[in-house]
This record gives sequence, structure tokens and C-alpha cells, in this order.
Amino acid sequence: MTPVEAVVLAFVVGAALATALLRDVLASIIAFAAYSLGVAVVWLLLRAPDVGLTEAAVGAGVTTVLFLLTIAKTVRPASEDLFVDVDPTALGVSALLVAALGTTLSALPPVGSSSAPVATSRVTAYYLENAYHEAGVKNAVTAVLAAYRGFDTLGEAVVVFAGFVGLLVVLDRGVLA
Amino acid sequence: MIDVVLDRAYFVVAFLLLGIGAHMLIGDRNLVKKVIGMNVFQTGIFLFLIASAYVAGASAPLLTEPGPYVSPLPHVLILTAIVVGVSLTAVALGLIVRIYGEYGTLRADLVGEVDGGE
Repeated sequence: MTPVEAVVLAFVVGAALATALLRDVLASIIAFAAYSLGVAVVWLLLRAPDVGLTEAAVGAGVTTVLFLLTIAKTVRPASEDLFVDVDPTALGVSALLVAALGTTLSALPPVGSSSAPVATSRVTAYYLENAYHEAGVKNAVTAVLAAYRGFDTLGEAVVVFAGFVGLLVVLDRGVLA
Repeated sequence: MIDVVLDRAYFVVAFLLLGIGAHMLIGDRNLVKKVIGMNVFQTGIFLFLIASAYVAGASAPLLTEPGPYVSPLPHVLILTAIVVGVSLTAVALGLIVRIYGEYGTLRADLVGEVDGGE
């Protein structure tokens, strides 16, 4: 745990709390964009540059635009209060969720351990050894995404297409114009 | 005890994000903020998986770099999940725009009231 990691993780949790607690929806969306940017930096720290690029373009970019379009088409409720009133039931349920997840913490391998199950898995070793001469791509993530698991990526494209068609069905032409 | 938590700080943050996202989904009355909460919840899951792929001192899974490498498979899963998540968000927000057109409000409790009055 380096100081940089500690600062970025603290920023991410702080931005998530701001997103949850700010009453103004526009302020919450801006906090969420900052949160996505922080998460993109976390992906870089964890050596996942492909995920970081996607998060910065899609999470901080496209998603924020979608939220802004939604409040432009609907309403941004005005309020005097800066923060939301915390609902005790929801707080209890989510605290219970965090506590239940927390009990599993000591059973998990330390982050970054080279003996962790994912790092020592035969699947990981196979992809890293064979990705270049089987798929001809030097980025192992691309090789898995587009070659080994190409049909899954086709399925992903089908989901995106279905989502787009669903959106066109839900919104009539009046809203899109 | 402290070491157990510090070694697994990424998992702790992932759990906290799941809690914050769940709280927004359940507790916030504004429908747009519920969808933002769903996105926060998703990133909590992403953080858990990407952190489990990390190996200290290893390079990104680009085979031009010197090894050892972190595992590429969770990265692929999360790339797919991010794109699917955006489709989900887009459809949810489209439904919210329609709900606002029909009911004239974005508050989940008021939408229920309008429905019950009919």
C-alpha cells in the first residue's frame, strides 16, 4: 500500500459518499464523474490500462452525458438542503451488507500476493504463454477479448444492440428530436 | 488485525462501494440517483475482481513489457461488464424519461401514490 494508492482510494470513497449524500441531482452527477475518473486511476494503479481507458471514456464520459441528458429532459428538483435525509432502514440494510461482506475479508488472499488463486491459475498461465503465437496480438487482454472469447464479445455486441433498440422503443421520436 | 485490513485495502474499499451503492438504490427517492447508485454498486464489483487479478510488482498484460504479468482474464470480464453496464444505464434512463412524461415526477414514492390513486 503506497501513499499514492491510499490517496486515490480515499478520493474514490469520498467521491462516492458525496455522490450518495448530495441532494442536488446535478451536483451528484458531477461527483459521480469525479468518482469515475478516480476509479480509472485505480485501474491504472492495478495494472489494468485497458479497463482504465474504457472507464475514463465510458464511465466518466458517456455515462455522465446520459445522466445530464436525462435531467435536461426531466427535472432537477430544487431544494434548500445540501444533503439528503439519510433513510435509517436503507442505512441499516447497507451496513448489514458491508458487515456481512467484511466477515469474508480474512479468508481472502492479500491484494497483490503472487500465490493468490487468480495469479496461479492454469488459465492465466495459458493465456500469458500462448496469446502471442496463437492470436498474434501482444496485448493479452485483446487476445482473450477478440480471439479466445470472441463469441462472448459477439454476445456483448448483441446486448448493446438490444439495449439501443430497447431505448428507441421506450423513447418515442418526440423525446429524441 | 490492522495488517489483515491494510493488505486487503482494495477489497475493503470495494465492500464500502457496494454498501454506498446499495444505500443509494434502497434509500434515495429520486429515480436518477437510484441509477447512479446502481453504477456505484457495479464499480464496487469491478474493483473486487480487478484487485483479485493484481500481483505486486507485475506488469500490465502487454507482452512487450517484461514479465511477470497480472492476470488478463478479469480485465476482459470487466471490459465486457462496463459496456453492458452502459447499455443498462441507457435503458434505465430512457424508462425514467418516460416515467417522468407519464407521472410528472421522479420521486419513487410519489409515482406509487399516483398509481394507487387511479
